[in-house]
Amino acid sequence: MSDRRLRQVAVVLAVIGLGVAGYLTYVHYEGIKPVCGLGGDCEKVQTSAWAELAGVPVALLGLIGYAAILVTLFIEREEALVAGALIALVGFGFSAYLTYRELFSIDAICPWCVASAVIMTLLAIVMTARLLRVPSDHRGAIPYVG
Amino acid sequence: MLLAVLAAAAVLVVVAIVVSGGGGSGDKAKGRPAAAQKATGAIPGQKESAEMLAGIPQSNIYLGNPAAPVRVVEFADLQCPFCREYSLQVLPRLVQDYVRSGKVRMEFRTLSFLGKESVTAGRAAAAAAQQDKLWNFVDVLYFNQGEENSGYVTPSFLQRVNRAAGVDPAKAAAFAASPASLKPLTTANALGDRLGVQSTPTILVGRRGGKLTAVQADPTDVSGFKAAIDGALGQA
Repeated sequence: MSDRRLRQVAVVLAVIGLGVAGYLTYVHYEGIKPVCGLGGDCEKVQTSAWAELAGVPVALLGLIGYAAILVTLFIEREEALVAGALIALVGFGFSAYLTYRELFSIDAICPWCVASAVIMTLLAIVMTARLLRVPSDHRGAIPYVG
Repeated sequence: MLLAVLAAAAVLVVVAIVVSGGGGSGDKAKGRPAAAQKATGAIPGQKESAEMLAGIPQSNIYLGNPAAPVRVVEFADLQCPFCREYSLQVLPRLVQDYVRSGKVRMEFRTLSFLGKESVTAGRAAAAAAQQDKLWNFVDVLYFNQGEENSGYVTPSFLQRVNRAAGVDPAKAAAFAASPASLKPLTTANALGDRLGVQSTPTILVGRRGGKLTAVQADPTDVSGFKAAIDGALGQA
């Protein structure tokens, strides 16, 4: 797959992620119950001890993460690619941890959170694939093929 | 390049995990350091109940100022889902607006009609009341309420809830196993019968020493309860 196609896929994933995280951030601050299908218990997850990181809702962190990844996708510099991949990988790792907590500590699943975790995982794969395409001796801006 | 990014990502994830799950600013504000929560194994509701009840006096089944002009009596089964909704959605507002300011004293009466696990949880609640931590225990338990009589009220579950509620688990387990822990349940049952309690949660409001009236309101909506309390406060 070309870098252009990978970038397009990443943009689509980041936009979907923005929507999911935006919704979860909205319900968090409005204090309303999220629409929660598939037998999940979003409220239990959203009100758990793991719903915040140092006082900041993890939904808001996700929103910021997706927005930051989206921004990096429109900057034609190697640093932006590295930053985007780094954010996606951190997001993937932390999402995996939160999913573990849902399953084994909170005993409840929030389908929105799982959706975000899946999107972040796909983003981490796509962004890493893009990073692997950068030549190891490359020091300047990568050729823009988008 | 990739290795450096992976290493940086791994470090950041580890930092995030260490900070998460009970290390929030709210805990520190209430003098409950993250390390203390880690040691006790933070579970859902620990932070919220501690914040809701911080600084409010508790004595056995009572919460708040003993001289408060109005009393609010709650009859609830610890397995009842609507009681959970009331406890998580309405109670924090009432505590903040009326109990914290000394206008209302609350009283929790544990009913146990939903099955064997209601009795087990109720006896554990009686043990928490012995340590003046009933309200923390009940709140944390509601945060972690499981499927009715699904076998989730195990000794280890109660131990986790006790720890999160600030209850000494060993002392609590000993009291809960003794016949004395059944007495508050039978008392609540008899009192509920006398007051005409037919469903849970039933919230009764009245002036101190006066007649109690059941609030007919949606247990997820604070407005009906506020109106009833304001009405009682407004009586000469």
